[in-house]
Amino acid sequence: MIDLRHVTYTYPDQAQPALADFSVSLAQGEFVLVVGPSGSGKSTFLRSLNGLAPHFYGGKWSGHIDVGGRNPVERAPRGMADLVGFVFQDPEAQFVVDTVEDELAFAMENFAVPPATMRKRIEEALDQMGIAHLRQRRIGALSGGEKQRVAVAAVLALQPQILVLDEPTSQLDPQAAEEVLVALRQLNEDQGLTVIISEHRLERVAQYVDRVLYLPALGAAPILDDPRAVMGQLPLVPPLVELGRALGWQPLPLTIKEGRPFARRISGQLAAAVAGGQSRPERSELPQSAAEGHPERMGDPQGRTQSKDAKLIPQGSAISVRDAHFAYHGHRALRGVTFDARPGEFVALMGRNGSGKSTLLKCIVGLLKQDEGRITVGGLDVRTAPSDDVIRLVGYVPQHPGSLLFRDSLLAELAFTRKGHGMPQDEPADLALLERLGLASVARRDPRDLSGGEQQRAALAAILVAQPQIILLDEPTRGLDYVQKRNLAALLLSFKAEGRTVVMATHDVELAAACADRVVLMGEGQIVVDGPARDVMSDSQVFASQINKLFRDPNYLVVDDVLRALGREPAAP
Amino acid sequence: MTNEDTFHPLAWTAWLAAAALPALSTRNPLYLSLVLIAVRITYTALGRRNPTARSWSAFVRLGALMWLLSIPFVVLMSHGGSIVLFRLPRSWPIIGGPVTLEALLYSFTGGLAVIGLLLIFATFNIAVDQGRLLRMTPGFLYQAGVVTGIAVAFVPQMVATWQSIREAQQVRGHKVRGIRDLLPLLLPLLVTGLERAMNLAESMEARGFGGQILVATPRQRLAHQLALLGGLALVGLGLAVNGFWPDLRLIGSLQLAGGILLMLWSFWDVGRRSRRTRYHRWPWNRIDRLVAAIGIFGAVAWLAIMFARPEWLHYYPYPPYSPWPSFNIVVGLVLLLLAAPGLLMRPLETESDPAVAV
Repeated sequence: MIDLRHVTYTYPDQAQPALADFSVSLAQGEFVLVVGPSGSGKSTFLRSLNGLAPHFYGGKWSGHIDVGGRNPVERAPRGMADLVGFVFQDPEAQFVVDTVEDELAFAMENFAVPPATMRKRIEEALDQMGIAHLRQRRIGALSGGEKQRVAVAAVLALQPQILVLDEPTSQLDPQAAEEVLVALRQLNEDQGLTVIISEHRLERVAQYVDRVLYLPALGAAPILDDPRAVMGQLPLVPPLVELGRALGWQPLPLTIKEGRPFARRISGQLAAAVAGGQSRPERSELPQSAAEGHPERMGDPQGRTQSKDAKLIPQGSAISVRDAHFAYHGHRALRGVTFDARPGEFVALMGRNGSGKSTLLKCIVGLLKQDEGRITVGGLDVRTAPSDDVIRLVGYVPQHPGSLLFRDSLLAELAFTRKGHGMPQDEPADLALLERLGLASVARRDPRDLSGGEQQRAALAAILVAQPQIILLDEPTRGLDYVQKRNLAALLLSFKAEGRTVVMATHDVELAAACADRVVLMGEGQIVVDGPARDVMSDSQVFASQINKLFRDPNYLVVDDVLRALGREPAAP
Repeated sequence: MTNEDTFHPLAWTAWLAAAALPALSTRNPLYLSLVLIAVRITYTALGRRNPTARSWSAFVRLGALMWLLSIPFVVLMSHGGSIVLFRLPRSWPIIGGPVTLEALLYSFTGGLAVIGLLLIFATFNIAVDQGRLLRMTPGFLYQAGVVTGIAVAFVPQMVATWQSIREAQQVRGHKVRGIRDLLPLLLPLLVTGLERAMNLAESMEARGFGGQILVATPRQRLAHQLALLGGLALVGLGLAVNGFWPDLRLIGSLQLAGGILLMLWSFWDVGRRSRRTRYHRWPWNRIDRLVAAIGIFGAVAWLAIMFARPEWLHYYPYPPYSPWPSFNIVVGLVLLLLAAPGLLMRPLETESDPAVAV
């Protein structure tokens, strides 16, 4: 069905190829997951399947490619669109017209499909994705999961044989991601559609796929095998697999269901350990360096030890929100939120898209002024205090690092923040900060040329240079791979260890389980649950971590909880 | 809320022509007031169906503002007329001299025409979905239509991006004090906008946009170009003849019509070549035909009056004409036709029926 042999492709103006001597062959009707670190050529491989690479980008192409009997390099994307459906990462940026039905019709109109056929196919595509009730809706008003399902339906309408999806769930909350993946699995099973999907969060996808294509690095031979076999070789894997590997479970469990028998087997051991008082791990050591630190579970907030730097902030609440209300053009985004964070606390803010997480963060930093209620940070009333004082105390890292970065070097970005805060320039200190963030080697590069993970950290550096005592992050893990995520987690924990307060809005359950003391679940502009991470995450269906689902015990959220209870050393990253 | 239950976009387009013509071609305050009343009736009927339509009051405010600003200009600078209200000292530059009732009336009617036009477009805007109108564009304009549609959709996205960039820089302590401080805001906006445009272009490409155009032979292409050029030349000539030699109006009008036909043929022939189908069949019912017919009749009748009896529409308050407008019952009846869509609109069903939509 899909056959690439010795493909080498270089984007224009690039010295290094994105695919080097790449060969792979995929069969019809498979559900294939493409994984690999950032920069290994995943996106480029996917884009070669319908000719976007090289046609859309230009550049140099050599080698043989055959997709369903066609050559995408000769046919160009428009000649492949009825064979290969392509769904992109960003649900916002792929729609052409404004209503669901029209969007589905768009590609067919281009292919001059007769109207009667069009109507039939639109009905089918809507039903296949379970979105018939949305047909008249405006796309702008849909949720992220609905948008991605519309995007899939829009390419299904051309009845392709292959569906290619480039990180389709990376911007979705866990429920929405589940909706999309279940729909894809069903298409694959019922219609025999070949599905090729790339995704960083393996824990979401691994259970649905037939085979995994692993691209280890540029030029290295890709590995294509069944998920169990590949998972054994990957350097970083979902927590369940990590635990299975650490404890030598065979065959390696990929789903919670497969893991349960193993979990039951060691539950006796664990119970004995709890009786022996080894559980509820107290904070023992803190990661010393961001680069090598490992995101460990820091114990529950009650057991927190006072960090030596905690005195930097006045005692009491770092953040205090009292009955805050906020409405955008009549839409009530916050409805009476009361929320506190102590100095040195790490809070994960979770909940569906549109539940008010971002609005709350913006209110805390004073970008939005709440309509009612009172918000103070470090004792300052955000509404009345001079904004200079507030932003010196509170650093806010926005969702898209691209909205922050504009200078031609990373050091210049830091200098710009210093100037904005009226701080003296201090290049050695800036370099030290970049070193700590693992960015020293790119300090003089243009931030816009950096990879996604580097840009995310660059944005963080541009905020942290002002030494804020409170750090607010909005979805910091979009598009990060496991290594980058692990580094980010270690970094954030080291800030917390310095006594800073971290509040992070995220959809990433595993990241929250690894870092947060407390989890606050929001829904419809209100706080639904607020409690210690262990309690909140083990109560929830959606927001439970894999390890927690496995043991159904608040004592175990992450791999290290289990390993430590068994008296073993935490797994090396 | 969709507008499926009003009228076909083409019917509304006919209404737009019939309503805009009088607003463009007469200053008679009585006729203009009639236009406003008819538009208001139409709007009210629409507003009942579309409670989210708030643009009306914004347009009214905008129109009123322009009107209020323009009145003092005309009144103080035009010193013609015989009914003097008061005099400003001659020594004052430009505004010195008599201030007349005629000037006041003239500025008043001018404002009435502007407000009328604004509200006509506001109503049309609410009645017809622009996206839909774009998709009705004939084949040769299709790509231009889609691109325009995307550009329009980009505006709110860019506003949102601008907002988030401003916030991001604000929390870095950035303040806008001068032009140079705009760079940190504009550069990310440009980069983000480009990125988004690239993403969208990629998505359109992947879905076969612009794929199926049949290539024209060189001879066909030459024929189109000649037809287009000839049509343009004829239209220009016709306009010139009508303008400079009013006695030859018949010839000029024929030239105009011929030029327009030639251009339409060329467009139609190009459009025929782009193979594309349309998903939507908008119902074209008896009532749509009726509204369209009334619109076309109104526009044609107005044009006929313009050419045959221009004195009926003429209004100019300065001497030697009377400052008091005349009123002709035929013109009034023609204008009342503009209320037809409002009066003919089907009563709103209590529950929206999904089956209506195709």
